[in-house]
Amino acid sequence: MQWTTWRPSGKGLIVPSAVVAVAALVAACGGGGDSASTQTRGVTIGVALHTDGPPKSALAEFTKETGIKVKWTNIDWDSLQTKISAAATSHTYFADATDVDWSRVGEFSKTGWFHPMGDYLNTSPMTADMPQLAGFTVKGKVIGIPYDASFLVTTVNKRMFAKAGITRMPTTIDEYTADLRKVKAAGVAQYPLNIPFAAAEGLSTYWYQTTAAFGGAVLGQGYAPQFEAPSSPGYNAMQWMVDAIKQGLVSPGNLNTTDAQGQQNLMAKGKVSSTFADYSGNVGTLYDVKSASTVTGQVTYLRTPGAAGPAGNVGNPDGIGIPVTAKYPQAAAKFIEWFTSARKQADFAGLHGDQEVIEGYTFPSRLSAFKRLVAGGKVAEGDRLFKLLSTGARPAFPQGIPPWYGQFSNAVYTNIHGAATGEKTVADAIKAIVETANRLRGGS
Amino acid sequence: MTQTGARAGAIEAPALRARRRLRADRALPYALVAPLVVFIVGLALVPALFTTVEAFFRVSPLDPPTRFAGLDNFRALFDNDAVRAAAVNTLLYVVIGVSLSTLLGIVMALSLQQPFRGRSAVIAVLVLPWALPGVVEALIWSGIFDANSGLLNSVLASLHITGSYPVLVGKDRFATIGLIELVQVWQMTPLSTLLILAVLQVIPGELYDAARIDGCSPRGLVRHITLPLARPGIAIAMVQALVATLNVFDQPYVLNGAASTGSSVMMQTYFLSFRNLDFGAGYALSLLVTVTTLVLAVAVVRLVYRRVDL
Repeated sequence: MQWTTWRPSGKGLIVPSAVVAVAALVAACGGGGDSASTQTRGVTIGVALHTDGPPKSALAEFTKETGIKVKWTNIDWDSLQTKISAAATSHTYFADATDVDWSRVGEFSKTGWFHPMGDYLNTSPMTADMPQLAGFTVKGKVIGIPYDASFLVTTVNKRMFAKAGITRMPTTIDEYTADLRKVKAAGVAQYPLNIPFAAAEGLSTYWYQTTAAFGGAVLGQGYAPQFEAPSSPGYNAMQWMVDAIKQGLVSPGNLNTTDAQGQQNLMAKGKVSSTFADYSGNVGTLYDVKSASTVTGQVTYLRTPGAAGPAGNVGNPDGIGIPVTAKYPQAAAKFIEWFTSARKQADFAGLHGDQEVIEGYTFPSRLSAFKRLVAGGKVAEGDRLFKLLSTGARPAFPQGIPPWYGQFSNAVYTNIHGAATGEKTVADAIKAIVETANRLRGGS
Repeated sequence: MTQTGARAGAIEAPALRARRRLRADRALPYALVAPLVVFIVGLALVPALFTTVEAFFRVSPLDPPTRFAGLDNFRALFDNDAVRAAAVNTLLYVVIGVSLSTLLGIVMALSLQQPFRGRSAVIAVLVLPWALPGVVEALIWSGIFDANSGLLNSVLASLHITGSYPVLVGKDRFATIGLIELVQVWQMTPLSTLLILAVLQVIPGELYDAARIDGCSPRGLVRHITLPLARPGIAIAMVQALVATLNVFDQPYVLNGAASTGSSVMMQTYFLSFRNLDFGAGYALSLLVTVTTLVLAVAVVRLVYRRVDL
């Protein structure tokens, strides 16, 4: 055979080659979403979340109880959200149970990418024990079940405040701002406040919490923007945040600091004295952890200072649901029921020691489990947190999350970031966000 | 008749076998390239075709059903402030990245052209930044650039060279793009160096000897022999840098988030598709990037590439 003189002459072979290629492509891209099974025993389900999974012993216990094996995949939040969208739009199997973030509930409701949980579980009895379930419910359909009770809360380094001569904790925004100025003036911290001004989701949620503290919400009935007027809580909240960086209460370096970076590198290292919209579990899981913090025992939760007194707290819980492309939705539902049960949530949070703990798990979404943890002395400042959760935590969007939340949030954080850099004024930033919201409302 | 037919069959049998063998010989190359064809068709051509078609459709799970939209997706892109800002940013990434990585690549290739002790080790170390994923590199550099606790500002401040926060990604557009592109250049330059070095290695030493005898200075050698003969390698290096900078995503996303000061066109493609769920617009922007890449790559090749017969 002379390779040098070979010329492709067999046209008939090109067609089979193309067929092979196309067949392989179809096989690769072929969906798996239409082959859902009601089988539960003897199946292996895929669970993909951005948090660590339960300990092996706990999963083995679940398998023994139900005959369902669990393959746990841990993926970072951003990648997970992309995977959920990509799998749903290409009708491809990706996991039997996965993340339903509070911010995407409206979107998932509109796209129908997740099975209503009511098709598989009786969700009605959960409502009383899970106050944050309301945020996962759209038009009576539950899109996912919250598995933690994350909410935003103010944290203060009480030692730094004391060093600055502050003996009484602030209850209003004005008092809080004045106290931060005292900390700065006393030289206790050059930049006493942590606001994560990086153009990312954490900046949006910070603004929602600050808006709530100023006594309002971002969107109203029909998703109408509530922050256009200079006297509105949303406008004042943004002005307060931008003033904080311009007046030196926040480090200029925070322009590129994300929420997690601010908590880990600034608050936990004693470089700042307060985070206005912090994560609810951080005292126990970060600030009091010696290996990650230099301020153990110094940080406390504070009832969020508001316009005229303590304000409410915005919830940002994580949920778990069943994508419509799941292979074993019935089995996934059994897992979700187990995973979000009061008994297991208390175990995951450490009620019975470290063996059952999920690394980084904050608080149970079930009040009954939370109560047991508090009673068992397993939560740092548990009483205070329980009170905040049961009475003060509320959804960022009381009328429901808009289906176009992703675009809206993008407009929020890019414009607030722009105002913080000085690229635009607060008025311009507000105007741009209002225009985005109105355009999206018109098209929704 | 039967006997004649049988004889004919006996005569034809070897010919038939020969034909079959020839056909099998001809099929073998197709069989060998089939896996590659599957990959190229499946992972490049079909998605490219799909993207091209869908760019002209309204594709959004939030606004079903999928329907023909003509040029609406493209018009929307040109009206989108974020996309326009990202296009300008990307242009800056391309200009800075291609010119700097090529220049550094030439300088480093020239430095490595002559054998010296430890040259192989130097080349092995040189390749490391190129071998690292973009996200990992960006994370490493975010630790250096971090204004509150990063290495760079700490060193500058401790040396009293500058005041507080002199190097701040995100504050100013040009500084932000410059700093981000520095990270990408750090990643791309090793490959540019190796591509140019590979070409330099085949330049015959006699050419240099002859030029030296003719009185050519060292600078003249580079100018009149090395650079002209290295043009094929330089062209390839520039094209790879062009493709990388036009598609820059990891570095600006990790170092500067979604801020308009550093957002790239590829980031906008991601935002449009997976944040806004406007896949039609995402396809349209991808198509524009592809066409732009092709046009610029052809232009670079035509301007820089020269066939060299040694």
